[in-house]
Amino acid sequence: MGMLRVMSRRGDERVAWDVTKAELGDQVAIAAVREAERIFAQQRANGATAFKVETGQAPTRIEQFDGTAEQILLVPRIVGG
Amino acid sequence: MIWEALVLLLAVWLLVLIIALWYLPRLGDEDWGRWGRLLGARISADHRARSLMREMLTLAQYQQLTRQGYVEVTSPTIANRVYRIPGAGGLVRVYEQGSAVMDLCVQPVEPLPDGDVVVMHKLMIEGNEQEYLAKANHFAPGLVNLRGGYL
Repeated sequence: MGMLRVMSRRGDERVAWDVTKAELGDQVAIAAVREAERIFAQQRANGATAFKVETGQAPTRIEQFDGTAEQILLVPRIVGG
Repeated sequence: MIWEALVLLLAVWLLVLIIALWYLPRLGDEDWGRWGRLLGARISADHRARSLMREMLTLAQYQQLTRQGYVEVTSPTIANRVYRIPGAGGLVRVYEQGSAVMDLCVQPVEPLPDGDVVVMHKLMIEGNEQEYLAKANHFAPGLVNLRGGYL
């Protein structure tokens, strides 16, 4: 399973997808991946930073949506306070 | 003089009480519902943020947060540097060789629950340290207090 998590004032909002089913052409899984891609692009356009998070590994910044990622976290744009 | 002041205080208190008793029953179900929804949304956001934070922190970091109120994240690129992230908001203190060298002020443009802010700092430090440092405002350690004012 892959998951996109977007941090917001409401806590993180999630979209999950099944990588295996999407690869096999399952329409529901493909729709979920497309929705995650759309949200990813929208948030990135708003200045969010995306991180790929895999169990037991340090987070890595990504620029493109990765449908094979275990989790992608989107952090809103940051500024100096 | 003291008695007069006490009587005046009592009178004001009674007036406030009467106004409150008159006003409260007139609040419609919709008003209570709105407050309930706002409170519910806030509790839900905090719960989700705590859950995400629990997932993203290592066990040692989570224990450090619950016991000491902060999380320490080691710099991935600068030797002997540690970032101390407060659990309840505030400045991130940077330590090198065990000594505080600066405070950093960084915040998201959108307000986030406290748990999400901790995760935000951790992710940015571990995955995007140079940009994090570039965007942060740097202060000498202890120069700015937690309320954001200069000492």
